[in-house]
Amino acid sequence: MVELTSSEPYQHGGLTGPPPVARRFWQIHHRQRIRLWGIAFVLPTLMFFAVFKYGPMMWAIELSFNSYDMVSTPYFVGLDNYRSLAADPIFRETLINTFVYIAGSTILTTVIGLSLALAINTGIPGARHCMTAMFLTNLMPIIAVCLVWRFLLHPYGLVNQILQPLGFGRIDWLTSSSTAMPAIIMVTVWRFAPYFMVIFLAALLALPEDYYEAAELDGAGAIRRFIHITLPLLMPTIFFVVVVSALLCARIFLMPYLITGGGPGNATRVLSMLIYETGFSYLKMGQAAAISVVLFTIMMVFTALQIRLFARSEQVYM
Amino acid sequence: MTTPEVAESRRNANSLMRHLPALRKTVGLVLLAALAFAFLVPILWMTVMSFQEGGKMFNLRTEWIPAVWHFENYPNAISRAPFVQYFINSGIVSVTVMAGNVVFCTLAGYGLAKFHFRGSGLVLLLILSTLMLPLEVTLVPTFLIVHKFEWINTYQGIVAPLLIDAFGVFLMRQSIISIPSDYIEAARIDGAGELRILLQIIVPQCLPALSVLAIFSFRDSWDQFLWPLTVVSIDRLRTYPLGLVQFGEEYGNPATEQMAIAVLATLPVFLLFMILQRSINRGFGLSGLK
Repeated sequence: MVELTSSEPYQHGGLTGPPPVARRFWQIHHRQRIRLWGIAFVLPTLMFFAVFKYGPMMWAIELSFNSYDMVSTPYFVGLDNYRSLAADPIFRETLINTFVYIAGSTILTTVIGLSLALAINTGIPGARHCMTAMFLTNLMPIIAVCLVWRFLLHPYGLVNQILQPLGFGRIDWLTSSSTAMPAIIMVTVWRFAPYFMVIFLAALLALPEDYYEAAELDGAGAIRRFIHITLPLLMPTIFFVVVVSALLCARIFLMPYLITGGGPGNATRVLSMLIYETGFSYLKMGQAAAISVVLFTIMMVFTALQIRLFARSEQVYM
Repeated sequence: MTTPEVAESRRNANSLMRHLPALRKTVGLVLLAALAFAFLVPILWMTVMSFQEGGKMFNLRTEWIPAVWHFENYPNAISRAPFVQYFINSGIVSVTVMAGNVVFCTLAGYGLAKFHFRGSGLVLLLILSTLMLPLEVTLVPTFLIVHKFEWINTYQGIVAPLLIDAFGVFLMRQSIISIPSDYIEAARIDGAGELRILLQIIVPQCLPALSVLAIFSFRDSWDQFLWPLTVVSIDRLRTYPLGLVQFGEEYGNPATEQMAIAVLATLPVFLLFMILQRSINRGFGLSGLK
């Protein structure tokens, strides 16, 4: 392969004085040149992430030990930002809200996403179109989702109109502290379950068919086939969906921000909202950075899990 | 069982599946369609309300068919605020972000899939670990960096932090890795340059993945609210989500007109999805679906 290219073989030393840069480049070993191309392809992305991901993260960690209001120069305060967070009941409530939201949304989206995928995968003609229709909820602009659901969850809104004939009273979804978080989770499930349905569906379609044929011959019913064949084979996908969903939910901002504004009280305030408010409403950049570090730590756990999954699977997910 | 017997019973099982009683099929389809419809209700509601009379949105009974179709909600809404400008701004941002993702994720994905240089494993790890650093987490320092670049209240300021997403890099890498390396080697022997190999051999084979990348990067930047909210403070550069929220907060703007803008905002994403749909389905691995 090397011999077929026009470039000369690599020469060790023997040259008097450094050759011109261009000539030296062409003298680099063929394989090495290809390797350089590879690096060149990756380099822009790597530089971008250095400036807009790792740089900011380092800066956030540094800022979290400082007090900074964007006007005066930052000064070192040690662990004060973290100490005041630990003592702040609003922060504690927000942290708990974030975990409740992540857990509730992730469990429900996974279960419903899988159920939808199983329903689509029954071989019913026209199922493909039903899938496409449901997937539209995932494409609707999130801002429109929030505005529409705010009206639907209004005390006189469509959700209560549907529930009332079923014997429910009028529920103040967004203004009562016990229902506000479930309402946000409900909207999240509506938004994300069809997306995970698609991922589950792809996994279901890729399952080897002969297992099922064999099980059917052995007289296994649909439920036993699901428990003994489908579920074990889907385990990696389920794990993947849980992790991705947790990552998506950990950073949620717009839904609580627009639908409830974090209220009533602090019932639906989540960490990303607190970062924005602390940083840009109260201009406490150091304090906001400390909250960022907390959120970052939570996300790091899920990301580490995800990278382990990526390392194992060759399947394409988005 | 002997082989012919197995084949026989398999054929029976198959034919049983194929000739599922028509009734069961119909019932299944009706149930499935009802389920899909339930998911679509909020989208339908938004669309119907965008044609409703101002006050009727808060009726005790939702009127699904407007007594009078108020098509004028649309021009009225657009004329109340510079929504044309907002949509143009969003369009500029989203198309740029989409292009950035398509170009750079393909380059990086190719580099990581088919080139083995020292540290390429570490590079992949570094790129993937940025998944834990979304803008929501790095909001404050990213703002300070963009501030240092003096990009506050500029298009480049809105676009820059969104330009490349690690998920896209991984998606493209996974898609390109399955292309046989022999194609690339053969092209090299024929004297094709590396960029030509990428454009003429790699890209045509990963169009499904590229479509998935395109629709998601477009949707994500079209949806972006927090970052423009942070980095834009002048009306001329507002993207439509900021304009729409402000429109709702201003007193006296009918909610039906807000819905009209929401419908207009939904159209570009649905349109892009329709154009790319076949390819997206393949990108997700759904080609086998009936």
